[in-house]
Amino acid sequence: MERYISTITQLAAGFKFTLIIFAFTILFSIPLGLLVAKLRMSKFKVISGITRVYISIMRGTPLMLQLLLVYFLPNMLFGIALRDLNFGGVDYRLTATVIGFSLNYAAYFAEIFRGGIQSIPKGQYEAAQILGFTNTQTFFKIVLPQVIKNVLPAVTNEVITLVKDTSLAQVLSVTEMFTAAKALSSAQVSIMPLIAAGVFYYVMNGLVEIVMNRFEKSMNYYH
Amino acid sequence: MKLLEMKDVKKSFGDLQVLKGIDLSVEQGEVVAIIGPSGGGKSTLLRCATTLETIDSGFISIGGDTLVSTPAGSDKAHYADKHQMTEIRSKFGLVFQNFNLFPHFSVRRNITEALVSVHKKSKEEANSICDELLAKMGLSEKGDSYPCNLSGGQQQRVSIARALATNPEILFFDEPTSALDPELTAGVLKVIRDLAEEKMTMVIVTHEMSFARDVADRIIFMDGGVIVEQGPASEVINNPKNDRTKEFLAGY
Ligand SMILES: Nc1ncnc2c1ncn2[C@@H]1O[C@H](COP(=O)(O)OP(=O)(O)O)[C@@H](O)[C@H]1O
Ligand SMILES: [Mg+2]
Repeated sequence: MERYISTITQLAAGFKFTLIIFAFTILFSIPLGLLVAKLRMSKFKVISGITRVYISIMRGTPLMLQLLLVYFLPNMLFGIALRDLNFGGVDYRLTATVIGFSLNYAAYFAEIFRGGIQSIPKGQYEAAQILGFTNTQTFFKIVLPQVIKNVLPAVTNEVITLVKDTSLAQVLSVTEMFTAAKALSSAQVSIMPLIAAGVFYYVMNGLVEIVMNRFEKSMNYYH
Repeated sequence: MKLLEMKDVKKSFGDLQVLKGIDLSVEQGEVVAIIGPSGGGKSTLLRCATTLETIDSGFISIGGDTLVSTPAGSDKAHYADKHQMTEIRSKFGLVFQNFNLFPHFSVRRNITEALVSVHKKSKEEANSICDELLAKMGLSEKGDSYPCNLSGGQQQRVSIARALATNPEILFFDEPTSALDPELTAGVLKVIRDLAEEKMTMVIVTHEMSFARDVADRIIFMDGGVIVEQGPASEVINNPKNDRTKEFLAGY
Protein backbone atom coordinates (compact mmCIF):
# COMPACT_ATOMS: atom_id res chain seq x y z
CA MET A 1 0.00 0.00 0.00
CA GLU A 2 2.72 2.41 1.02
CA ARG A 3 4.54 1.67 -2.18
CA TYR A 4 1.49 2.65 -4.22
CA ILE A 5 1.15 5.91 -2.38
CA SER A 6 4.81 6.72 -2.83
CA THR A 7 4.59 5.82 -6.53
CA ILE A 8 1.58 8.09 -7.00
CA THR A 9 3.22 10.92 -5.07
CA GLN A 10 6.34 10.74 -7.20
CA LEU A 11 4.30 10.57 -10.41
CA ALA A 12 2.30 13.57 -9.25
CA ALA A 13 5.55 15.46 -8.65
CA GLY A 14 6.53 14.65 -12.24
CA PHE A 15 3.06 15.57 -13.40
CA LYS A 16 3.64 19.08 -12.09
CA PHE A 17 6.40 19.52 -14.68
CA THR A 18 4.27 17.93 -17.36
CA LEU A 19 1.63 20.55 -16.61
CA ILE A 20 4.15 23.38 -16.59
CA ILE A 21 5.55 22.34 -19.98
CA PHE A 22 2.03 21.93 -21.35
CA ALA A 23 0.64 25.22 -20.04
CA PHE A 24 3.58 27.39 -21.06
CA THR A 25 3.82 25.79 -24.47
CA ILE A 26 0.14 26.58 -25.11
CA LEU A 27 0.60 30.07 -23.74
CA PHE A 28 3.54 30.88 -26.04
CA SER A 29 2.99 28.76 -29.12
CA ILE A 30 -0.52 29.96 -29.97
CA PRO A 31 0.24 33.69 -30.21
CA LEU A 32 3.59 32.85 -31.82
CA GLY A 33 1.82 30.57 -34.28
CA LEU A 34 -0.54 33.39 -35.20
CA LEU A 35 2.43 35.67 -35.81
CA VAL A 36 4.23 33.01 -37.87
CA ALA A 37 1.04 32.49 -39.92
CA LYS A 38 0.89 36.23 -40.64
CA LEU A 39 4.57 36.30 -41.64
CA ARG A 40 4.08 33.23 -43.81
CA MET A 41 1.35 35.12 -45.69
CA SER A 42 3.42 38.30 -45.97
CA LYS A 43 3.54 39.84 -49.42
CA PHE A 44 7.27 40.33 -48.96
CA LYS A 45 8.85 37.30 -50.57
CA VAL A 46 11.87 37.29 -48.26
CA ILE A 47 9.76 37.21 -45.11
CA SER A 48 7.33 34.57 -46.34
CA GLY A 49 10.28 32.54 -47.70
CA ILE A 50 12.19 32.56 -44.40
CA THR A 51 9.01 31.68 -42.52
CA ARG A 52 8.33 28.84 -44.88
CA VAL A 53 11.80 27.38 -44.26
CA TYR A 54 11.29 27.77 -40.52
CA ILE A 55 8.01 25.88 -40.66
CA SER A 56 9.40 23.11 -42.81
CA ILE A 57 12.41 22.58 -40.51
CA MET A 58 10.22 22.53 -37.40
CA ARG A 59 7.86 20.03 -38.96
CA GLY A 60 10.52 18.02 -40.78
CA THR A 61 12.96 17.24 -37.96
CA PRO A 62 12.46 15.39 -34.66
CA LEU A 63 11.22 17.50 -31.77
CA MET A 64 13.70 15.67 -29.57
CA LEU A 65 16.58 16.95 -31.69
CA GLN A 66 15.15 20.47 -31.56
CA LEU A 67 15.02 20.32 -27.77
CA LEU A 68 18.67 19.24 -27.63
CA LEU A 69 19.67 22.06 -29.98
CA VAL A 70 17.83 24.72 -27.97
CA TYR A 71 19.60 23.40 -24.90
CA PHE A 72 23.11 23.17 -26.26
CA LEU A 73 23.32 25.90 -28.92
CA PRO A 74 23.76 28.91 -26.55
CA ASN A 75 26.83 27.22 -25.20
CA MET A 76 28.15 25.94 -28.51
CA LEU A 77 27.64 29.18 -30.42
CA PHE A 78 28.33 31.83 -27.78
CA GLY A 79 30.16 29.91 -25.10
CA ILE A 80 27.52 30.79 -22.51
CA ALA A 81 27.76 28.56 -19.46
CA LEU A 82 24.54 26.61 -19.09
CA ARG A 83 24.21 27.42 -15.41
CA ASP A 84 24.23 31.13 -16.33
CA LEU A 85 20.98 30.47 -18.16
CA ASN A 86 19.11 29.50 -15.01
CA PHE A 87 16.96 32.63 -15.09
CA GLY A 88 14.81 33.36 -12.08
CA GLY A 89 15.99 30.20 -10.38
CA VAL A 90 14.46 28.07 -13.13
CA ASP A 91 16.70 25.31 -14.40
CA TYR A 92 17.62 26.04 -18.02
CA ARG A 93 16.67 22.46 -18.90
CA LEU A 94 13.07 23.35 -18.21
CA THR A 95 13.31 26.73 -19.95
CA ALA A 96 14.89 25.12 -22.99
CA THR A 97 12.14 22.50 -23.04
CA VAL A 98 9.43 25.16 -23.06
CA ILE A 99 11.26 27.19 -25.72
CA GLY A 100 11.75 24.11 -27.91
CA PHE A 101 8.15 23.00 -27.59
CA SER A 102 6.87 26.52 -28.23
CA LEU A 103 8.95 26.96 -31.38
CA ASN A 104 7.90 23.56 -32.66
CA TYR A 105 4.19 23.85 -31.89
CA ALA A 106 4.10 27.41 -33.23
CA ALA A 107 5.00 25.98 -36.64
CA TYR A 108 2.13 23.50 -36.53
CA PHE A 109 -0.32 26.09 -35.23
CA ALA A 110 0.87 28.54 -37.90
CA GLU A 111 -0.14 26.17 -40.67
CA ILE A 112 -3.51 25.56 -39.05
CA PHE A 113 -4.12 29.29 -38.60
CA ARG A 114 -2.99 30.03 -42.14
CA GLY A 115 -5.56 27.59 -43.49
CA GLY A 116 -8.18 29.14 -41.23
CA ILE A 117 -7.36 32.68 -42.29
CA GLN A 118 -7.33 31.80 -45.97
CA SER A 119 -10.74 30.18 -45.68
CA ILE A 120 -12.35 33.51 -44.76
CA PRO A 121 -14.13 34.76 -47.90
CA LYS A 122 -12.76 37.87 -49.58
CA GLY A 123 -16.20 39.48 -49.20
CA GLN A 124 -15.69 39.73 -45.44
CA TYR A 125 -12.63 41.91 -45.95
CA GLU A 126 -14.39 43.95 -48.60
CA ALA A 127 -17.44 44.59 -46.44
CA ALA A 128 -15.17 45.61 -43.57
CA GLN A 129 -13.16 47.92 -45.81
CA ILE A 130 -16.27 49.65 -47.13
CA LEU A 131 -17.53 50.17 -43.58
CA GLY A 132 -14.27 51.89 -42.71
CA PHE A 133 -12.69 49.35 -40.38
CA THR A 134 -8.90 49.60 -40.17
CA ASN A 135 -6.85 46.54 -41.09
CA THR A 136 -6.23 45.81 -37.42
CA GLN A 137 -9.92 46.10 -36.55
CA THR A 138 -10.81 43.91 -39.51
CA PHE A 139 -8.40 41.24 -38.37
CA PHE A 140 -9.33 41.15 -34.71
CA LYS A 141 -13.07 41.85 -34.95
CA ILE A 142 -14.05 40.18 -38.19
CA VAL A 143 -11.45 37.64 -39.28
CA LEU A 144 -9.94 36.17 -36.12
CA PRO A 145 -13.20 35.18 -34.38
CA GLN A 146 -14.26 33.26 -37.48
CA VAL A 147 -10.81 31.71 -37.82
CA ILE A 148 -10.94 30.48 -34.22
CA LYS A 149 -14.19 28.69 -34.88
CA ASN A 150 -12.81 27.15 -38.08
CA VAL A 151 -9.56 25.89 -36.58
CA LEU A 152 -10.81 24.64 -33.24
CA PRO A 153 -11.02 20.93 -34.21
CA ALA A 154 -7.49 20.96 -35.63
CA VAL A 155 -6.17 22.84 -32.61
CA THR A 156 -7.75 20.26 -30.31
CA ASN A 157 -5.80 17.56 -32.12
CA GLU A 158 -2.53 19.42 -31.60
CA VAL A 159 -3.26 20.02 -27.94
CA ILE A 160 -3.91 16.32 -27.39
CA THR A 161 -0.66 15.47 -29.14
CA LEU A 162 1.13 18.01 -26.98
CA VAL A 163 -0.05 16.33 -23.78
CA LYS A 164 1.66 13.14 -24.92
CA ASP A 165 4.68 14.92 -26.42
CA THR A 166 5.60 16.44 -23.06
CA SER A 167 7.21 13.06 -22.33
CA LEU A 168 9.95 14.02 -24.80
CA ALA A 169 11.30 16.44 -22.19
CA GLN A 170 13.08 13.43 -20.73
CA VAL A 171 15.77 14.00 -23.36
CA LEU A 172 16.84 17.05 -21.34
CA SER A 173 16.48 15.11 -18.09
CA VAL A 174 13.51 17.18 -16.97
CA THR A 175 11.77 14.97 -14.46
CA GLU A 176 8.31 15.29 -15.92
CA MET A 177 5.89 12.46 -15.33
CA PHE A 178 7.20 10.02 -17.91
CA THR A 179 10.78 10.36 -16.72
CA ALA A 180 9.57 9.75 -13.18
CA ALA A 181 7.54 6.74 -14.25
CA LYS A 182 10.50 5.21 -16.04
CA ALA A 183 12.75 5.63 -13.02
CA LEU A 184 10.13 4.13 -10.71
CA SER A 185 9.53 1.29 -13.09
CA SER A 186 13.17 0.20 -13.16
CA ALA A 187 13.60 0.70 -9.40
CA GLN A 188 10.54 -1.44 -8.65
CA VAL A 189 11.14 -3.82 -11.55
CA SER A 190 7.48 -3.36 -12.36
CA ILE A 191 5.50 -1.99 -15.25
CA MET A 192 2.83 -0.57 -12.93
CA PRO A 193 4.30 2.95 -12.64
CA LEU A 194 4.29 3.23 -16.45
CA ILE A 195 0.69 2.10 -16.64
CA ALA A 196 -0.23 4.58 -13.91
CA ALA A 197 1.47 7.33 -15.94
CA GLY A 198 -0.55 6.22 -18.95
CA VAL A 199 -3.71 6.70 -16.91
CA PHE A 200 -2.60 10.23 -15.98
CA TYR A 201 -2.08 11.15 -19.65
CA TYR A 202 -5.37 9.57 -20.60
CA VAL A 203 -7.32 11.43 -17.95
CA MET A 204 -5.64 14.70 -18.80
CA ASN A 205 -6.56 14.31 -22.44
CA GLY A 206 -10.10 13.47 -21.40
CA LEU A 207 -10.20 16.83 -19.66
CA VAL A 208 -8.69 18.54 -22.70
CA GLU A 209 -11.44 17.08 -24.85
CA ILE A 210 -14.18 18.16 -22.46
CA VAL A 211 -12.85 21.71 -22.33
CA MET A 212 -12.36 21.95 -26.08
CA ASN A 213 -15.82 20.49 -26.75
CA ARG A 214 -17.36 23.13 -24.50
CA PHE A 215 -15.42 25.76 -26.37
CA GLU A 216 -16.58 24.43 -29.73
CA LYS A 217 -20.17 24.27 -28.54
CA SER A 218 -19.99 27.84 -27.33
CA MET A 219 -19.32 28.86 -30.92
CA ASN A 220 -22.16 26.91 -32.40
CA TYR A 221 -24.51 29.87 -32.23
CA TYR A 222 -23.74 30.47 -35.89
CA HIS A 223 -22.49 28.48 -38.82
CA MET B 1 -24.53 68.74 -56.61
CA LYS B 2 -22.73 65.78 -58.14
CA LEU B 3 -22.30 63.00 -55.59
CA LEU B 4 -20.44 60.75 -58.00
CA GLU B 5 -18.32 61.79 -60.88
CA MET B 6 -16.26 59.50 -63.06
CA LYS B 7 -14.26 60.72 -66.03
CA ASP B 8 -12.54 58.56 -68.59
CA VAL B 9 -12.08 55.72 -66.10
CA LYS B 10 -10.01 52.85 -67.45
CA LYS B 11 -9.36 49.54 -65.77
CA SER B 12 -7.68 46.38 -66.99
CA PHE B 13 -7.15 42.97 -65.45
CA GLY B 14 -3.91 41.87 -67.04
CA ASP B 15 -4.40 42.18 -70.77
CA LEU B 16 -8.16 42.41 -70.52
CA GLN B 17 -9.45 45.97 -70.53
CA VAL B 18 -12.70 45.84 -68.60
CA LEU B 19 -13.52 49.55 -68.38
CA LYS B 20 -12.67 51.45 -71.54
CA GLY B 21 -13.14 55.06 -70.54
CA ILE B 22 -16.26 55.48 -68.44
CA ASP B 23 -17.86 58.90 -67.97
CA LEU B 24 -20.64 58.98 -65.43
CA SER B 25 -22.00 61.49 -63.02
CA VAL B 26 -24.80 61.14 -60.53
CA GLU B 27 -26.62 64.10 -59.02
CA GLN B 28 -27.83 64.27 -55.45
CA GLY B 29 -31.18 62.54 -55.12
CA GLU B 30 -30.83 60.76 -58.43
CA VAL B 31 -31.42 57.03 -58.85
CA VAL B 32 -29.38 55.47 -61.63
CA ALA B 33 -29.83 51.89 -62.74
CA ILE B 34 -27.08 50.11 -64.66
CA ILE B 35 -28.15 47.24 -66.87
CA GLY B 36 -26.32 45.11 -69.39
CA PRO B 37 -25.11 41.62 -70.20
CA SER B 38 -22.94 39.70 -67.80
CA GLY B 39 -19.23 40.40 -68.20
CA GLY B 40 -19.89 43.94 -69.40
CA GLY B 41 -18.01 45.55 -66.53
CA LYS B 42 -20.90 46.64 -64.27
CA SER B 43 -19.49 45.15 -61.09
CA THR B 44 -16.03 46.41 -61.91
CA LEU B 45 -17.45 49.90 -62.33
CA LEU B 46 -19.04 49.77 -58.87
CA ARG B 47 -15.93 48.24 -57.34
CA CYS B 48 -13.77 51.02 -58.78
CA ALA B 49 -16.15 53.68 -57.45
CA THR B 50 -16.11 52.06 -54.00
CA THR B 51 -12.30 51.64 -53.70
CA LEU B 52 -12.41 47.85 -53.93
CA GLU B 53 -10.44 48.02 -57.18
CA THR B 54 -7.85 50.58 -58.20
CA ILE B 55 -8.23 52.16 -61.60
CA ASP B 56 -5.47 52.51 -64.18
CA SER B 57 -6.35 56.04 -65.22
CA GLY B 58 -9.14 58.57 -65.06
CA PHE B 59 -10.88 60.59 -62.40
CA ILE B 60 -13.37 59.71 -59.66
CA SER B 61 -14.86 61.98 -57.02
CA ILE B 62 -17.43 61.15 -54.39
CA GLY B 63 -19.44 63.76 -52.53
CA GLY B 64 -17.16 66.42 -53.99
CA ASP B 65 -13.95 64.83 -52.69
CA THR B 66 -11.44 63.57 -55.23
CA LEU B 67 -10.78 59.88 -54.73
CA VAL B 68 -8.43 59.52 -57.66
CA SER B 69 -7.22 61.66 -60.51
CA THR B 70 -4.76 61.36 -63.34
CA PRO B 71 -2.54 64.41 -63.82
CA ALA B 72 -2.41 65.78 -67.36
CA GLY B 73 0.43 64.26 -69.32
CA SER B 74 0.62 61.31 -66.95
CA ASP B 75 -0.98 57.94 -67.53
CA LYS B 76 -0.89 56.86 -63.92
CA ALA B 77 -3.79 57.34 -61.55
CA HIS B 78 -3.04 59.15 -58.33
CA TYR B 79 -5.10 58.18 -55.27
CA ALA B 80 -6.03 60.22 -52.21
CA ASP B 81 -3.95 59.55 -49.11
CA LYS B 82 -5.02 57.18 -46.36
CA HIS B 83 -6.63 59.89 -44.25
CA GLN B 84 -8.71 61.30 -47.12
CA MET B 85 -9.59 57.77 -48.15
CA THR B 86 -11.17 57.10 -44.74
CA GLU B 87 -13.12 60.34 -45.09
CA ILE B 88 -14.32 59.40 -48.59
CA ARG B 89 -15.29 55.88 -47.52
CA SER B 90 -17.65 57.32 -44.96
CA LYS B 91 -19.60 59.02 -47.76
CA PHE B 92 -20.84 55.93 -49.55
CA GLY B 93 -22.23 52.51 -48.85
CA LEU B 94 -22.21 49.33 -50.91
CA VAL B 95 -24.70 46.48 -50.90
CA PHE B 96 -23.24 43.25 -52.25
CA GLN B 97 -24.94 40.60 -54.30
CA ASN B 98 -24.20 37.96 -51.65
CA PHE B 99 -24.68 40.27 -48.64
CA ASN B 100 -21.30 39.67 -46.98
CA LEU B 101 -22.82 40.00 -43.54
CA PHE B 102 -20.54 39.13 -40.63
CA PRO B 103 -21.81 35.67 -39.64
CA HIS B 104 -20.47 35.77 -36.08
CA PHE B 105 -22.24 39.04 -35.28
CA SER B 106 -25.91 39.36 -34.41
CA VAL B 107 -28.03 41.44 -36.78
CA ARG B 108 -27.74 44.31 -34.32
CA ARG B 109 -23.97 44.09 -34.10
CA ASN B 110 -23.66 43.87 -37.90
CA ILE B 111 -25.43 47.21 -38.07
CA THR B 112 -23.88 48.94 -35.07
CA GLU B 113 -20.25 47.79 -35.06
CA ALA B 114 -18.98 50.35 -37.58
CA LEU B 115 -20.94 53.10 -35.83
CA VAL B 116 -19.24 52.30 -32.56
CA SER B 117 -15.72 51.37 -33.58
CA VAL B 118 -15.28 53.49 -36.71
CA HIS B 119 -17.56 56.47 -36.15
CA LYS B 120 -17.08 56.52 -32.37
CA LYS B 121 -20.77 56.75 -31.58
CA SER B 122 -21.98 55.66 -28.16
CA LYS B 123 -23.62 52.25 -27.81
CA GLU B 124 -26.96 53.89 -27.02
CA GLU B 125 -26.82 56.11 -30.06
CA ALA B 126 -25.81 53.20 -32.29
CA ASN B 127 -28.62 51.08 -30.92
CA SER B 128 -31.24 53.71 -31.52
CA ILE B 129 -30.03 54.16 -35.11
CA CYS B 130 -30.17 50.38 -35.46
CA ASP B 131 -33.72 50.13 -34.08
CA GLU B 132 -34.89 52.79 -36.48
CA LEU B 133 -33.32 51.03 -39.47
CA LEU B 134 -34.61 47.61 -38.46
CA ALA B 135 -38.13 49.03 -38.23
CA LYS B 136 -37.73 50.55 -41.67
CA MET B 137 -36.58 47.20 -43.05
CA GLY B 138 -39.48 45.36 -41.40
CA LEU B 139 -37.05 43.45 -39.20
CA SER B 140 -37.76 44.89 -35.77
CA GLU B 141 -37.95 41.43 -34.24
CA LYS B 142 -34.66 40.26 -35.70
CA GLY B 143 -32.06 42.34 -33.86
CA ASP B 144 -30.83 39.41 -31.79
CA SER B 145 -30.89 36.85 -34.61
CA TYR B 146 -27.81 35.72 -36.43
CA PRO B 147 -27.55 35.98 -40.23
CA CYS B 148 -27.60 32.18 -40.63
CA ASN B 149 -31.10 32.11 -39.17
CA LEU B 150 -32.52 34.61 -41.65
CA SER B 151 -33.84 34.12 -45.15
CA GLY B 152 -31.79 35.54 -48.02
CA GLY B 153 -34.22 38.42 -48.39
CA GLN B 154 -33.94 39.27 -44.72
CA GLN B 155 -30.16 39.05 -44.87
CA GLN B 156 -30.08 41.45 -47.77
CA ARG B 157 -32.29 43.89 -45.90
CA VAL B 158 -29.92 43.68 -42.93
CA SER B 159 -27.03 44.45 -45.24
CA ILE B 160 -28.92 47.46 -46.60
CA ALA B 161 -29.50 48.60 -43.02
CA ARG B 162 -25.80 48.09 -42.31
CA ALA B 163 -24.90 50.23 -45.31
CA LEU B 164 -27.36 52.94 -44.28
CA ALA B 165 -26.30 53.06 -40.63
CA THR B 166 -23.37 55.37 -41.21
CA ASN B 167 -25.63 57.76 -43.09
CA PRO B 168 -23.90 57.66 -46.48
CA GLU B 169 -24.56 60.28 -49.13
CA ILE B 170 -24.70 57.71 -51.92
CA LEU B 171 -25.49 54.02 -51.94
CA PHE B 172 -24.29 51.47 -54.48
CA PHE B 173 -26.05 48.15 -55.11
CA ASP B 174 -24.53 45.29 -57.09
CA GLU B 175 -27.37 43.02 -58.20
CA PRO B 176 -29.01 43.10 -54.77
CA THR B 177 -31.60 40.46 -55.64
CA SER B 178 -29.64 38.11 -57.89
CA ALA B 179 -28.74 35.70 -55.10
CA LEU B 180 -32.33 35.48 -53.88
CA ASP B 181 -35.15 33.08 -54.60
CA PRO B 182 -37.73 34.88 -56.74
CA GLU B 183 -40.31 35.01 -53.94
CA LEU B 184 -37.83 36.86 -51.70
CA THR B 185 -36.91 39.64 -54.09
CA ALA B 186 -40.05 41.72 -53.56
CA GLY B 187 -39.19 42.67 -49.98
CA VAL B 188 -35.75 43.87 -50.95
CA LEU B 189 -37.01 45.79 -53.99
CA LYS B 190 -39.66 47.47 -51.84
CA VAL B 191 -37.01 48.69 -49.41
CA ILE B 192 -35.02 50.17 -52.30
CA ARG B 193 -38.19 51.78 -53.69
CA ASP B 194 -38.83 53.39 -50.30
CA LEU B 195 -35.31 54.75 -50.30
CA ALA B 196 -35.82 56.19 -53.78
CA GLU B 197 -38.97 57.88 -52.52
CA GLU B 198 -36.91 59.49 -49.77
CA LYS B 199 -34.58 60.81 -52.47
CA MET B 200 -31.66 58.64 -51.44
CA THR B 201 -28.95 58.88 -54.11
CA MET B 202 -28.42 55.39 -55.50
CA VAL B 203 -26.58 53.55 -58.24
CA ILE B 204 -28.10 50.13 -58.78
CA VAL B 205 -26.82 47.36 -60.99
CA THR B 206 -29.80 45.14 -61.67
CA HIS B 207 -31.41 42.61 -63.97
CA GLU B 208 -34.91 43.50 -62.80
CA MET B 209 -36.02 45.53 -65.79
CA SER B 210 -39.46 46.57 -64.60
CA PHE B 211 -38.03 47.55 -61.25
CA ALA B 212 -35.32 49.59 -62.99
CA ARG B 213 -37.92 51.35 -65.12
CA ASP B 214 -40.10 52.18 -62.11
CA VAL B 215 -37.50 53.25 -59.65
CA ALA B 216 -34.67 54.76 -61.68
CA ASP B 217 -34.51 58.31 -62.98
CA ARG B 218 -31.91 57.26 -65.49
CA ILE B 219 -30.85 53.98 -66.99
CA ILE B 220 -27.41 53.17 -68.24
CA PHE B 221 -26.81 50.27 -70.60
CA MET B 222 -23.30 48.95 -70.34
CA ASP B 223 -21.63 46.40 -72.57
CA GLY B 224 -18.03 45.55 -73.39
CA GLY B 225 -16.62 48.04 -70.90
CA VAL B 226 -18.37 51.09 -72.29
CA ILE B 227 -21.62 52.92 -71.65
CA VAL B 228 -23.50 52.14 -74.83
CA GLU B 229 -26.66 54.09 -74.17
CA GLN B 230 -28.25 56.08 -71.40
CA GLY B 231 -31.31 58.18 -70.80
CA PRO B 232 -34.53 58.55 -68.86
CA ALA B 233 -35.66 55.17 -67.59
CA SER B 234 -38.83 54.68 -69.60
CA GLU B 235 -37.12 55.85 -72.77
CA VAL B 236 -34.23 53.38 -72.58
CA ILE B 237 -36.48 50.47 -71.63
CA ASN B 238 -39.41 51.18 -73.93
CA ASN B 239 -37.59 52.88 -76.75
CA PRO B 240 -33.96 51.83 -76.96
CA LYS B 241 -31.99 53.54 -79.72
CA ASN B 242 -28.93 51.34 -79.88
CA ASP B 243 -29.06 47.92 -81.53
CA ARG B 244 -27.14 46.24 -78.74
CA THR B 245 -29.56 47.67 -76.17
CA LYS B 246 -32.50 46.45 -78.22
CA GLU B 247 -31.03 43.01 -78.50
CA PHE B 248 -30.32 42.86 -74.77
CA LEU B 249 -33.80 44.05 -73.79
CA ALA B 250 -35.43 41.62 -76.18
CA GLY B 251 -34.23 38.88 -73.83
CA TYR B 252 -36.50 40.19 -71.05
N1 LIG C 1 -10.53 40.27 -60.35
C1 LIG C 1 -10.62 40.01 -61.68
N2 LIG C 1 -9.57 39.46 -62.34
C2 LIG C 1 -9.64 39.22 -63.67
N3 LIG C 1 -10.69 39.47 -64.43
C3 LIG C 1 -11.78 40.01 -63.84
C4 LIG C 1 -11.80 40.29 -62.44
N4 LIG C 1 -13.00 40.83 -62.13
C5 LIG C 1 -13.71 40.87 -63.29
N5 LIG C 1 -12.98 40.37 -64.32
C6 LIG C 1 -13.41 40.29 -65.71
O1 LIG C 1 -13.88 41.56 -66.10
C7 LIG C 1 -14.99 41.44 -66.96
C8 LIG C 1 -16.14 42.25 -66.40
O2 LIG C 1 -16.59 41.65 -65.22
P1 LIG C 1 -17.71 42.30 -64.30
O3 LIG C 1 -17.32 43.69 -63.98
O4 LIG C 1 -17.90 41.39 -63.17
O5 LIG C 1 -18.96 42.30 -65.26
P2 LIG C 1 -20.51 42.32 -64.90
O6 LIG C 1 -20.66 42.73 -63.47
O7 LIG C 1 -21.07 43.31 -65.86
O8 LIG C 1 -21.02 40.95 -65.16
C9 LIG C 1 -15.31 39.96 -67.09
O9 LIG C 1 -14.72 39.50 -68.28
C10 LIG C 1 -14.60 39.36 -65.90
O10 LIG C 1 -14.18 38.06 -66.17
MG1 LIG D 1 -21.55 41.68 -61.85
